[in-house]
Formats: sequence, structure tokens, C-alpha cells
Amino acid sequence: MSGELHARDHASFLAEVHSFEFWFQSVEGYLASHPYGVTPGSELPALSGTERDALAATLSTYCVGEAAALDGASGLIGFAPNRAAKIFLATQAVDEARHLEVMLHRLAELGVDPHADYESRAHASLLAFRDRLMHFVAAKDWEAALFAQNVILESMEFAAFHSHMQTADPRTAEMLAGVLKDERRHMGFGENDLGRMLARSPATRQRLRAIRQELDVLVLSTFEDSLRELGTPASERPEVGRLYLETVARLGFER
Amino acid sequence: MTDPLLETPEFDPASGAEGDTGADTGASEDDKTRPRRRYVIEDDTGFDEVPRKYRRFYRRWAGSRDALAPNEVLCPVCRVVIRSARELRPGDRVYCMPCMSRLTVVVGEGGRLEARVEY
Repeated sequence: MSGELHARDHASFLAEVHSFEFWFQSVEGYLASHPYGVTPGSELPALSGTERDALAATLSTYCVGEAAALDGASGLIGFAPNRAAKIFLATQAVDEARHLEVMLHRLAELGVDPHADYESRAHASLLAFRDRLMHFVAAKDWEAALFAQNVILESMEFAAFHSHMQTADPRTAEMLAGVLKDERRHMGFGENDLGRMLARSPATRQRLRAIRQELDVLVLSTFEDSLRELGTPASERPEVGRLYLETVARLGFER
Repeated sequence: MTDPLLETPEFDPASGAEGDTGADTGASEDDKTRPRRRYVIEDDTGFDEVPRKYRRFYRRWAGSRDALAPNEVLCPVCRVVIRSARELRPGDRVYCMPCMSRLTVVVGEGGRLEARVEY
């Protein structure tokens, strides 16, 4: 083939990557024949009681984040500024529902009742973050809700899942790897949509900077504590926040 | 059949004109006159996060020790390596499909080629 993807015009690129068809052909590559995000027949790893409890607590926190993102993405569809954003957010809602489902399935494999209240095992800071996100969604505040969900939450999840994969048992790592591939789309959508909006309306940056100061401490503490519970060395934990900090710096939200 | 994305008849991978942004990206005079190398990129890296026909344009990044080829640049948004059918130069525009970003190739602090997000 002689063609070159990168010679394409931006408008048609965006039209394609925001489409349901693009999403469908993308996830087919890594989700087909992987029920609950893992290779069929792969062995259930043996974990000690301590390892099991730590993983259950961390997955419970992840579940809160995924459930919040499911509610957030679903709500955002109703007041998204254009049709392409609505369609993309519909695909994101499906992704978030799948993430919640595979994590609840992994909890069940650990012997945790997936119908029990996972919030009681989750990190309190993330519950507080979720409440603020849903406030923005209820207020139909597009910029704040998209920033909280697709920039702050998604980039922190991306970094945390990537770090967790390095030490996780093989089954959990494979499940997280599939989730990570979805997260690339979500955080990319958030950063690029906000970046275009800020170019048109620079005054919005100050308001989002204040929201960042309120919210990022909640998310940073959540994922740092989760990684500590999983035994991630202290020297590696700052890396979890680095990707997020680089993202907000590109958008001009430095402190 | 012509694929609207992949078969752009006006595009010559050996040309320096297509995709150049005109912005200050650190391009040297040598960059502007030296012919570009062309690359045949295959779907051979196992990258599976975009539709099949686009997979050859990307590969996973193996971390800070991963040496990028002259036709590759790292996406700063999602840490995927973007591949082109031609040698990349400052000012070139590339797309990261996994995170839906448009990027411009620039000369970074260490003299290496980097990608800057263009919203």
C-alpha cells in the first residue's frame, strides 16, 4: 500500500475517529474472543489472603471510578455540543460499562460478592470526586464535567492501571491491559475537545484551573494510596501522577 | 477502490511539502533541502487498538530505552509510537489515532524529534 494516513485533513480524521464504526473496529482487535477481558482458559492465580484483600480493595476503588465514568459519560450525551461528541460519548459509556463488568467479575473470582456494596471498600476521596463530577453533569456544565471526567479521572486511571499492571497477577494484568486501550480514546477525547474549546474561549481556562485545584488532590491521593496498598514502591508512585500533570500542563492549567 | 484515508493520490512520501505546518518547529536548512527517506511500513508489530487497515501506522512504546526510527515519533498524550511512510522532519503533521490527537513534529530540548499536540 502506498497511502499515508498522516496526509489526511483534520476534519475528516475527527469525523472518523469519533464514529461508532471506528470504535467497533478498534475494540474488535483486542476484545474479540476475550470474555471478561481475559484469554479463555487462563489459569486463576493463587493469591495469599493479604494479596487478595489488597486487590479486592483496589478493584473496589476502580469500580467506583468506572461507575462514575459510566454515569458521567451517559449524562454528558444529553448536553454534548455536537453530534460527533454524542456518538463518541455513547461509545465511551459502553466502554465504561464493560470496565465495571469485568472488574466486578474479577472481584467475584476473588470470592467477593459482586452484588455487595463495593463502595464500602473504596477510597473515600474518590467517592467525594464522584459527587463533584455528578454535580457538574447535573448542572449541564460541559467544560467542567468533561475536564473532571475525561482529563482528571481518565488520565489518572490510565496511569494507575499502567502502574498496577507491572505488579499484578497475570489475569488482572490482562484485564487491565484491555481497559487501558479504551482509556487512550477517552483521555484523548477530553484533552483535544477541551484544547479546541480553550483556543476559542481562553477565559474558561481560569475557571477550570480552580476546578483542578479542588479535584486533583482527591484523585491523586486515591490512586497513590491504592498503589501503596498494592505494594508499589514509593519511588514509583510519583510516576502515576506524571502523565496527568503533563496533560494539564499542555492545556495550560499549571498551578 | 480508493480508500479516502490511505490512498491520497496527491501525497508523495518523498516530498517535504505535504503536511508541513509553516510554524517554528526547529527545522534546519538541511532538513528542508535533503531528500526524504521512504519506508514500507507493515502491520507487523501486534498493535491492535485501531481498525486493521490503520494498525501499521502505530506500535507500542517500550519505554525510555525504546529507540525511535527516523519515521517514528512518540505521542505525548497516550504514549503510542506513531509511524510514517516517510522520514519525519520538524513541521510535519501526524495523527495519533488511538487517542485521536493531531500532532506537529518539533525538535525537542535534547535535539530529538518530538510531537506537539495541535488542538
